[in-house]
Order: sequence, then C-alpha cells, then structure tokens
Amino acid sequence: MGAHLVRSYVTNPDTEPDPLKPAGFAPDLGFAERKERVMVATQEQMNAAQLPVEQRDYCAHHLLKLMKCKRDNWPNFLACKHERHDWDYCEHQDYVMRMKEFERERRLLMRKKRTEEAQVA
Amino acid sequence: MAALGGRWVGALFKGKGTGVTVFMSGTRAASGISKDMLPGPYPKTPEERAAAAKKYNMRVEDYEPYPDEGRGYGDYPMLPAKSQHERDPWYSWDHPDLRKNWGEPMHWDFDMFIRNRVDTSPSPVPWNTMCKHLFGFVGVMLLMFWLGETFPAYQPVAPKQYPYNNLHLERGGDPNKQPEEEKHYEI
Repeated sequence: MGAHLVRSYVTNPDTEPDPLKPAGFAPDLGFAERKERVMVATQEQMNAAQLPVEQRDYCAHHLLKLMKCKRDNWPNFLACKHERHDWDYCEHQDYVMRMKEFERERRLLMRKKRTEEAQVA
Repeated sequence: MAALGGRWVGALFKGKGTGVTVFMSGTRAASGISKDMLPGPYPKTPEERAAAAKKYNMRVEDYEPYPDEGRGYGDYPMLPAKSQHERDPWYSWDHPDLRKNWGEPMHWDFDMFIRNRVDTSPSPVPWNTMCKHLFGFVGVMLLMFWLGETFPAYQPVAPKQYPYNNLHLERGGDPNKQPEEEKHYEI
C-alpha cells in the first residue's frame, strides 16, 4: 500500500499513469474484442428519482431498485439487504475495473518505454 | 455648623483648609491632608532629597526622583515599573488584593499595574525561544502542507466512468451541441 506513490514520485515517474487524466491508449489495444458497458437506467428514470450527478453511474439501476425498496418498506430499515448488496457488489466491480484500467495503463506505459529504449539501443 | 456663624464663608474665600474642612471649621476629615505630605517640586539639594525620601517613606539610598525634564513629575519617586502580578501572592499584605502594605510608596502608574490590568510578569520561557518554537512549528507545518499539495497521495485507480457521454446533459451541457462520443468497455 503506497508502493505506487513511491513509484510515481521517486523511482518511475515516467511510467506511472496520472490518476486524474483519462487513458492515453486506444481502448482496443491488446484485446481481440471488448464488451461494451451497458447502461440500464435511462436518463428519464434517473431524473425522476432526482439522483445526484455522482450517483448516475453504471450501477444506477441497482440504486433505483434499492431506493424503491426502502420507500416501500419504511419504517423497516432492515428490509432491503438484498437490494443494497446488489448495488454494493456492482459498485465494487466498478472499482475493481478502475483498478484494472489503472494497471493496464501502467503496463502499456512500461511497454512503450521498453520499445523506445530498444529502438534507441 | 452654621451656628458658628459665617466663618466658613471666610475660610472658603481665604482658601484655608481643603475638602469638607472648609465648611466645618474646627473639624478635620481624614481626607484633609496637610501641604507638607503632598508631592512637591524636584529636589535640588541633598537636604531636599532626604526630606522627600522621608516624605515618601523611603530610604535615602533608594529614593530616586524622575529626571527633571519639565514633564511634571516633581519629586515623585521613580519606582521599577513592575505590576502587582509579580509580587508574592503568599505574603500577608495589608491590602491583599492590591498586594501592597500601608504607607508603601506607590508607583506613578499604580492604577495601571493592579491585578486586573497591565501584567508585566516575565514569560516562562525566554522570548527568543518562544519565537523560535512558534515560527519553527508554523514553518514546518506550512512545508508539510506544500509537500502534500505538490505530491498528493492518491489511490491507484483510473477515473470513474460515467454513461451518456460523461453525463453531458446532466452536467449542464448544451442539448443542441453534439458531445464527443465516448465508449466505455468492461475489463
């Protein structure tokens, strides 16, 4: 934990990806085919539920189900465990995908550096 | 009082006596102080200095008037400018709240040096040490904050992906302008 900070500031500042910038490589580089992410909740549905902008991601359909379940079961605040778990699991998978994207970017940067050094040598 | 005739009128205009003694001839109030007990002009001869020291209940060796620079101090003694906070709190003073004994010579600014007002107590640590500690600490903290801004700590994750062309409409984008198409993939 924190090894990436030492890498990005001390040892390998040129091959660590910037967490704020989007990917610098083509999304299909290294993949034969890639599955697109599907957005299930529509914009009208998210508007009707008045979701904050930060929560209008690819897991919004689970969140909408959870909100409906909570509204229907109030005051039983222990009722919506299944829906909450679904939303949490979707968010977890989204975070794992973010980690994998970061690692992919890093390996592509290291590969680029290796090819450049091989060309120079 | 008035039965003694109008003698108080004469006393009033002749300037005999001070305070209420003017109206009550033959009586003397505690506030009726005699002229020789009041402060006088700057002492020039050693005899005048001795007399002034005796007047102020001080030893001749300790008595030192203010310099004669026309500032109106007269023969009033120049005492060290230390407030009553610095006096021993455990000694049994005649006036415990003023930390003063009866008849003691009072500083010119005594009313300023009472314990509710100006405090000249020395700082517990030398002034330079206090400055070094404070500015050293503040400087180190500012340095650390600057380092944190220049080299922020972050989680090793890519930025979060949002649908509908990065929520172009939800973030207030122009509905007529076509946003740049962005596709997101699973990994």
